[in-house]
Amino acid sequence: MRRLWLLAVAAAAYIVAAWSVAPGFYDGFSPPQPYNFVCPPPQAGANAQPSDGALDIKIINGSSDPNSAFTNDGQLVIGFLPAAFDITGKTGVHVSITPVTPCPNPPGLHFSTNTYHITADAPLVKSANLVMRYSNLVADPSYIYRAESLEGPWTQLTVQQQAQLWTISTSTNQLGYFAAGYPSNAISTDGKSNQQILPIVVAALIVAVLLAGVPLTLLRRRQARSGADDEE
Amino acid sequence: MLALEWSRALVSTIPGAVVPALLIGGLGLGLVAWGWSPERLGLGTSKLGWRVIGGFGLAAVLLLPAAARAAAVPLLPGGLMAAAVAVSIGEEIAFRGTLFAALEELGGAPLAVIGTTLAWTAAHALSHPAEFLPAVAAAGLLLAIWRMTFRDLVAPIVAHTIADLAL
Repeated sequence: MRRLWLLAVAAAAYIVAAWSVAPGFYDGFSPPQPYNFVCPPPQAGANAQPSDGALDIKIINGSSDPNSAFTNDGQLVIGFLPAAFDITGKTGVHVSITPVTPCPNPPGLHFSTNTYHITADAPLVKSANLVMRYSNLVADPSYIYRAESLEGPWTQLTVQQQAQLWTISTSTNQLGYFAAGYPSNAISTDGKSNQQILPIVVAALIVAVLLAGVPLTLLRRRQARSGADDEE
Repeated sequence: MLALEWSRALVSTIPGAVVPALLIGGLGLGLVAWGWSPERLGLGTSKLGWRVIGGFGLAAVLLLPAAARAAAVPLLPGGLMAAAVAVSIGEEIAFRGTLFAALEELGGAPLAVIGTTLAWTAAHALSHPAEFLPAVAAAGLLLAIWRMTFRDLVAPIVAHTIADLAL
């Protein structure tokens, strides 16, 4: 009996401990570092503002050096190939990345990430590889979108195979505004589906315990009774 | 066991290596039980129905804090399902199975409960941010007390697997 009480106390202690952190401490799957939102969703809890980033690319032997620009919090990385820029009249290329405030809300699209404005003071002439990190608290984005202005239009870019969890990547031949997300009418219910499924799973488990527990208890009592009868 | 878990956590950070690391890590943890009888590990077949039902109950407890805040629940990427099953079973066999049996033999059930909980928490130190570790420890303690109370590993395996798959 004492051990059953101990089990109940351990269960209560677990619920208190688990309640104090964001859900989803996957066993064995590294939870990503918290995403810094410009516009945090309600479930995000404490939120730090996202960082910007900048890079000065050198001109070596008449062409721009290969290099990567990234935000200081690592939420966006863009890699440039050798000679990625038209460097006519340039001694270097300056690239800057800035999270956009306020958050754009284009019709028909839902952005899972911040929107970032990537600029360079020389024209891009070779595709650049763009990687965006996203939060585990939002539905996975399906695409990266690009626009020349915040008013749109937003172009859907082909995403590459996911190389790392919680990241989405693409290649782009233009700079501008970038955000990862999905069409509102496509998988906008994706985040909600788990919201509905998990309580159902827990309810089903409780029902299974109750339903299976009753016949098992009856069976056990019957066996105990027949054992006692045999002894008599 | 700790070296295996920490190696797995480090390898998982390499792009594309998450699923193989989890599968191989889970298998490796399972192999720790080599040579131990199923009964010593808590894997005997008596009262199996009760133990599976107990696993459902434990899973409900593990999932309850997340289910109550379903709006904040992250989604387990589909590709990780098989890896989640492998690592859940491997960890239970290694920690609450083999290590528990060895420590119980050495110093009794309390040492086994405390020792497996500490080892389990340390095993997750590299893969989880520090603020998650009290919850990880509490889950380990709950599963270890179940193992001690009912001398059963089936329910912790069932609960752990369901919890990892659902979150």
